[in-house]
Amino acid sequence: MQYALLAYTSTEATDRATRPITDTLASRLDGPNVTGWARLHADESATTLRNDGGRTLLTDGPFIDSKEYLAGVILIEAENLDGALAIAEEMLQETRPGAAIEVRPILEGRFPGDRHGA
Amino acid sequence: MALDAVFRDQWGRVLATLVGILGDVELAEDAAAEAFAIAAERWPRDGEPANPTGWLVTTARNRAIDQLRRQQVLADKTKLLARDIETGHPCLTEAEADMDDGPTIRDERLELIFTCCHPALAVDAQVALTLRTLGGLSTDEIALAFLVPFETMSKRLTRAKHKIRNAGIPFVVPPDHQLPDRLAAVLTVVYLIFNEGWGGGRVDLAAEAIHVGRALADLMPDEPEVLALLALMLMHDARKAARVRDGQVVPLDDQDRTRWDTGRIDDGRELLRRAVARGRTGPYLVQAAIADLHLQQPRDWHQIAALYQTLAAQTGSPIVEMNRAIAVAEIDGPEAGLAILDRLDLDHYRYFHSTRAELLRRAGRDGDAHQAYRRALDLAQTEPEQRFLADRLADTTP
Repeated sequence: MQYALLAYTSTEATDRATRPITDTLASRLDGPNVTGWARLHADESATTLRNDGGRTLLTDGPFIDSKEYLAGVILIEAENLDGALAIAEEMLQETRPGAAIEVRPILEGRFPGDRHGA
Repeated sequence: MALDAVFRDQWGRVLATLVGILGDVELAEDAAAEAFAIAAERWPRDGEPANPTGWLVTTARNRAIDQLRRQQVLADKTKLLARDIETGHPCLTEAEADMDDGPTIRDERLELIFTCCHPALAVDAQVALTLRTLGGLSTDEIALAFLVPFETMSKRLTRAKHKIRNAGIPFVVPPDHQLPDRLAAVLTVVYLIFNEGWGGGRVDLAAEAIHVGRALADLMPDEPEVLALLALMLMHDARKAARVRDGQVVPLDDQDRTRWDTGRIDDGRELLRRAVARGRTGPYLVQAAIADLHLQQPRDWHQIAALYQTLAAQTGSPIVEMNRAIAVAEIDGPEAGLAILDRLDLDHYRYFHSTRAELLRRAGRDGDAHQAYRRALDLAQTEPEQRFLADRLADTTP
């Protein structure tokens, strides 16, 4: 099965864009079970388009305003939820306290063949 | 659908096998319900087949395949299903199931309970799903037991079944490195069900928990904590008939011991003996040993206090400390027990106040005892408890 790991981090981690990915995390992202990943800019860089009865409304900022924001998406392949949770836990060890990873099964999708060409 | 006793025993086994074959709890449950309905109609008329489990599984499997065929959108799934049937799971035709020497169907209830109690499901969903799948309780009965509207319980169950399917929660007994944690989660669910039933609602949840506990003990006879949990539940349940008299809770020392179920106590002690022989001391083993000591007369408070100390170290639970305080009060007097209680943060817990009140009364501090009984009465949830506390409140002067 395919899963998306949604990584959340605290909005207070202001240095995150300049902080390099750790070597351990980099090697995990290069692992065979990772089919794609994206590290996202902080939520103040977000623009939200909302379908307001056929009209598009633009707002400055993330759709959901909260203390944690979506910092990255990692797409993985795992046999089942236990497999996906194990991979997510490995990734979580490379994050800072307070970070969280949400594991979502992927309904369908298309991922580029060039797996690591970000 | 309500099942009589014979069917109730078959339900978990049949459903587990079907989930193994079909890979989907919801589909398996619908098919099993259909098969049981057919059996309820045919068996009294034509006689019970030689291999009832095989008959039910085969009938349900055939119904499920029919249903999948009807839904053309699921064509791929049917292919998968056909492959699973060819490779893994021995299945019989209905005629074969009528014969004595049909192949034995592997018991997959363990896989089922580990799926239902997967930590990716909320605990209330784990509890409901376990009662539905292993216990064979209807959604109505589960809703009644937990005092929630039928729709709420129905949604909770449906959501859980969909999550199992869509998130890919595996239908397996966890590997060794995960087993201790995952087994602990299963035992928590079973004990939660038991404790929910202890209050004595309209659905006998204590009996359901014991039913699931027995199945677990049959399936994992080498796991001391599984045996110990069943022992613990049996020894508690043995006192059920003596625990309430004239609608009022009776403290253990005042209970009519002739009303205790000695068969259950013996079963519990035998299980405890088997668990102890395994040489590992988990929290359920300690609790079962304490339950056993409480059944003996006179009670060995030194041993009880020591075991509560062990349990407190294992669990870090303030409620365990509260129980240790009761034992210590028996050994060193009520003030020694109260000294322990004063260190605990259990203001929200109803038994904390009744325990404290009792010790204060024994220490001759009637005014404080009266206040504590008042607080306990405010928090009491069942009528027998309320009557008991109201009596005690009247006996102490403010």
